[in-house]
Amino acid sequence: MEDFFQKLMELGGPLLLGAGTTVAITIASLLVAIVLGLSLALIRLLGILPVNWLISTYVEIFRNTPVLAQIFIIYFSLPYLGINIGPFPAAVIGLGLNGGAVLCEVFRAGLNAIHHGQREAALAVGMTPWMSLRYIMLPQTWRITLPPLGNYAIALLKDTAVVSAIAAPEIMFWARNLVTSTFQTTFVYILAALIYFCLSFPLARLVEQFERRQRAWQ
Amino acid sequence: MINELREFLAIYAENWADWGPQIYAAIWVTIKLTVVSFAIAIVLGLCLALGKLSPLKVVRAFCTGYIEVARGVPALAILFLLYFGLVPLGIVFDAFTAGAIGLGMSAAGYIAEVFRAGIEAIHKGQREAALSVGMTPAMTFRHIILPQAMRIILPPLLNMVIILLKDTSICSLISTEELMLRAKDLAMMSFLPMHLFLLAGVLYFALAWPLSIITRKVEKMMQRGRRQTFGIN
Repeated sequence: MEDFFQKLMELGGPLLLGAGTTVAITIASLLVAIVLGLSLALIRLLGILPVNWLISTYVEIFRNTPVLAQIFIIYFSLPYLGINIGPFPAAVIGLGLNGGAVLCEVFRAGLNAIHHGQREAALAVGMTPWMSLRYIMLPQTWRITLPPLGNYAIALLKDTAVVSAIAAPEIMFWARNLVTSTFQTTFVYILAALIYFCLSFPLARLVEQFERRQRAWQ
Repeated sequence: MINELREFLAIYAENWADWGPQIYAAIWVTIKLTVVSFAIAIVLGLCLALGKLSPLKVVRAFCTGYIEVARGVPALAILFLLYFGLVPLGIVFDAFTAGAIGLGMSAAGYIAEVFRAGIEAIHKGQREAALSVGMTPAMTFRHIILPQAMRIILPPLLNMVIILLKDTSICSLISTEELMLRAKDLAMMSFLPMHLFLLAGVLYFALAWPLSIITRKVEKMMQRGRRQTFGIN
């Protein structure tokens, strides 16, 4: 038993360090994805056709290719064009671009779900288009998009595991390193899975609770 | 610009004799991996969904627990655990088997929730009516519940195929000989990472995009059907 705790302390430390990086990558790429996704969804509302085609192309490409391929292209291929970036920025850019495509669709669905009368009414009482967006459309969109946004955040948290492939020092990266140095294969990988679970489970409960409250509200 | 593009494409033409056969073989493995893991996920997911609706508390608790864990842990962690983590216990899978089982086990958590939502959406009067005309529970499920639930289940199920197809790429990290690993190996050998990863991206897109279009079509079809039934009711 004492042996077990010693092992836990020894192997848990680096993994928790990795968990910090995992959380940092998740939050940074979530921010990139939200800003990008919301901007694109709003630009789409302007209805400029060539721009909309460009956005659709971006969304289709990033939603129909593996995130690992996207990250590899960014990390291994950009140096070929003379742009060198570290694994952490590469991970955030890759996951952020991928998430931007996912969230663009989420926000679009949210904006579409609001009755057009809302916007018309806001404009009729003399609000500027910007004010109608800011005070009427977005607050309502936010309520609709929060559950899928939460689900996306959970998916993103799990997707960060793949950036271990470009040696970003997150949980899976540390787990692989620990395995090569200590040979505690089973223990390390179970511990890594457990840490991911401890991170994602509370998030999942939060999303669930919000969904339930929203259903009651409707 | 055009010259550069021509040069860029010329490299594919130059190397295609070498890359082509390897890439074809790897695509085939990716497709097989997708199909096998999807089959595992469907069977396991259906069992879990039924288990979660079971009257037995132990079965319910186990299935709920499994679903939560499968949904809370990255597929990559499950793959590593299966492929590397079980070796000290004497359980050794080859990379393809570990990949297919791992992805299947991971996806089963989602598919179970999809099935459960579909089954629960069917009015319980349907089941009671079927039982009261003398159908067995198995017949009720097979002939009454499942066909109706399919309408709700099918679009997310098709979506899952696309997700699995994309997720097979992470099996490259446990050295399954699929498209991503082949692209990576060839990139390392030829020092042409941009060409090979772009090629891999294009090929994944070529596989996933038609599926996306079909999924969207099916989604629309199913919605149309639902509106009609609401009209009748």
